[in-house]
Amino acid sequence: MSMMFAPRLTEAAAPTTHAAPTWSPYDNNGGTCVAIAGEDYCVIAADTRMSTGFSILTRNYSKIHQITDKSVLASSGFQADIRALQKNLDARHQIYQHQHSKQMSCPAMAQLLSNTLYYKRFFPYYAFNVLGGLDSEGRGCVYTYDAVGSYERSGYSSQGTGMQLIMPVLDNQLKSASPLVLPLRQSTTPLSEVEAVDLVKDTFASAAERDIYTGDGVEIVIVNRDGIRHELMDLKRD
Amino acid sequence: MSITSYNGSALIAMVGKNCFAIASDRRLGVQFQTIATDFQRIFEIHETLYVGLSGLATDVQTMYQRLKFRHKLYNLREERNMRPETFASLVSAMLYEKRFGPYFCEPIIAGLNEDGTPFICTTDLIGAKQLSKDFVVSGTASESLYGACESMYKPNLEPEELFETISQALLSSVDRDCISGWGGIVHVVSADQVITRTLKGRMD
Repeated sequence: MSMMFAPRLTEAAAPTTHAAPTWSPYDNNGGTCVAIAGEDYCVIAADTRMSTGFSILTRNYSKIHQITDKSVLASSGFQADIRALQKNLDARHQIYQHQHSKQMSCPAMAQLLSNTLYYKRFFPYYAFNVLGGLDSEGRGCVYTYDAVGSYERSGYSSQGTGMQLIMPVLDNQLKSASPLVLPLRQSTTPLSEVEAVDLVKDTFASAAERDIYTGDGVEIVIVNRDGIRHELMDLKRD
Repeated sequence: MSITSYNGSALIAMVGKNCFAIASDRRLGVQFQTIATDFQRIFEIHETLYVGLSGLATDVQTMYQRLKFRHKLYNLREERNMRPETFASLVSAMLYEKRFGPYFCEPIIAGLNEDGTPFICTTDLIGAKQLSKDFVVSGTASESLYGACESMYKPNLEPEELFETISQALLSSVDRDCISGWGGIVHVVSADQVITRTLKGRMD
């Protein structure tokens, strides 16, 4: 009985099977990033451990990069790709400054980052980014990304190996409104700056307990109207 | 699609001051389709011993039936209830019997010792026991549950505070997992009483 389906591909036309790849261009250096947006501040934090496989490469590596006076990028994933991404954004920002005689606003930088990531849609930057800063009105903003540039403004976010450990705790404490709900409500948290920094320290301490790739130290950057401030806290080194 | 995340589940047990709490979500799904919102995952073995089973739902039910059978026989022979540590060893042995064709469930055992001190432990699907002084978690949302419990847990909580803590940890964690949720059920067990409450969270 002849089959009613499309004719079977001949061997020659059939797609070739690939052998299991032996070399990957990517590596995961681990780590976790968190950002929280407040009424007039933004807290961006990341642990300082860089690892490969089950080994630690260094205990004090900064995953945080300040791009403009008001935007700070924290990224976990493949740090080589992240370095390249940071250099790319810096160069683009420099050009913008030459052309417009001013710095990029945080929402503008957010869009630029999204476009930059999608530009490499078919060989992506292995970078899980969180962009934090102050918007043009001085309110805290946090943008969270996937590896190919899909992004959303929210009140808080975390990315990286400890993301699943930290997110439920931030949900419980901050519970900001979704940007998709109408009428649009403020997504910034009513917590004070000090409370937000304490929350970040607590969540990293908890994540370091259960995630092997998170530990050694937390670098915390606080952006507010007075400028940018840095804090460092020790974490378990095991 | 992993067999252990076919139905979806979330379980926690926490130790308090002379009491323990055990909680689970209520969803039963078939991959992304929700089938039931009142599925029982926590079972009473005796007054002060509870077992919670996460993972494949058919194995949850079969393991419970086998454990209930074994405990009933033990009770008839020994004329007393099983101690929690003994029960945990029983669970471990039963799971290891099926080492090369396991039950796809990860149990949590929670009970009160004869002196009133709480006991909790979990095992993996082939019976490796993991005792804990503070909390144990199991299910598809286990990473989220670990993070939430690690942040929210404090030792020596009274039953009411323990209820609050375990409920918040459970609800926050299942809200980040699409195949577990649809509310929760919490049992807080002390030497003299058991309080069972259902939780209403995001019903999705």
